[in-house]
Amino acid sequence: MSETPVLDDSAKRKRYQLIVDALYQDVYRYAYWLCKNGALAEDLVQETFLRAWRSLDSLQNDKAAKAWLFTILRRENARLYERYRPDIVDIEDQSIADSFDNEPDQRMDRKLLHDAIESLDKDYREPLLLQVVGGFSGKEIAEILDLNNNTVMTRLFRARGKLKHVFFPDGKPDETLDEPQYE
Amino acid sequence: MDDLEFRKRAYANPNDQSAEFLAASNASPERTQLLKQLQALDKRVTAAANSVVVPEGLAARLKSIDSNVVAIKANKTGFKRYIAIAASLVVAVGLALSPGLFSPRPSAADLQFHDDVLGHVYKEISRFDLTRDDVSFTQINNVLEREAGGHFRDNERIKQLHIKFANGCRIASNGRGAHIVLDGSKGAISVMVVHSSPVSTTFDVKDTRFVGKIIPFGKGNLIIVGEKDEPLEAYESMIAEAFEWSI
Repeated sequence: MSETPVLDDSAKRKRYQLIVDALYQDVYRYAYWLCKNGALAEDLVQETFLRAWRSLDSLQNDKAAKAWLFTILRRENARLYERYRPDIVDIEDQSIADSFDNEPDQRMDRKLLHDAIESLDKDYREPLLLQVVGGFSGKEIAEILDLNNNTVMTRLFRARGKLKHVFFPDGKPDETLDEPQYE
Repeated sequence: MDDLEFRKRAYANPNDQSAEFLAASNASPERTQLLKQLQALDKRVTAAANSVVVPEGLAARLKSIDSNVVAIKANKTGFKRYIAIAASLVVAVGLALSPGLFSPRPSAADLQFHDDVLGHVYKEISRFDLTRDDVSFTQINNVLEREAGGHFRDNERIKQLHIKFANGCRIASNGRGAHIVLDGSKGAISVMVVHSSPVSTTFDVKDTRFVGKIIPFGKGNLIIVGEKDEPLEAYESMIAEAFEWSI
């Protein structure tokens, strides 16, 4: 018999569902930041989890599921959208606007932060988002981005340096920012 | 830990909880102040980055992926697969050859989809800027391919349309598709190609402002909605003729 036993399939489904419940929000948020469009992000997440389902047996340890999913997500984004995403106007994208708090000050602050994060070079933005959305350590980020740890630390250093300069303009830019720190 | 090393580590991870780093942060008031500033900034950045709203029902949809895959897998094995394909082909060919044979009244689900379509058009209408430049034929086809699984054949009549937007849309929970907006004689005309098949029979879209049609269309539905008195028949036949589902 070539068919997978029902018990195995049921156990696999249960395992998959637990992973979805635990991680879908982080995966979606990171997808959103990668493609900056709600509809594309959802498609990307669906593709990611579909691939995850298909190759779930290759995931040895569920504790590594998040890094595994983020890696699949980045690969899918590169495959589907990075190269040939048309330059289109987003008709229905309010994923961030809808999430703003009701207080005007908070809304403004968050808008500025969103703009500041988006304005970072991709090389700086990606590790920062992996850290603050994914909660990954420097070493994990290095593995996901296929970089060495020192490069990741330098990019995190510079990302925060640029954000700090935006939000604390009265202070002098950190004099160490222009120096290659770890690379 | 010297100042330079401390700054590097504080910027790279202001929430570093290692004993060595925490001890270094208490070595001078300047270090403590810098770390507090970076931690405050990090809190705001983290909150902003995580403020993206996750679509409702996403977890359920993701979990249903596995059912679909299991269903596909099951269908790939055994004799039932061939019976199912043969039955589908018979029904599909029958419907394609005899459009007037079956003319059931719209079901409650069809009527709900009608309302969803109009709701979607009303939601988006304020964003339709018909003064902007046309979207290129290539861009339109990229969106159609990605969102609806099809494309326009090389067609001069389509190329002459003034298409102002092209993007993915979700009209209903299972209504993934492409939405293009073109400049008609009375205003914006929405053309949506939905890959799933929420309706099984053609019926009119109509309210006090808009008119249009929802049409079973190959692997999905074609939806055309425009302002009242817009002559949509010409667009319907042009699009139906030019659109091709990808295999």
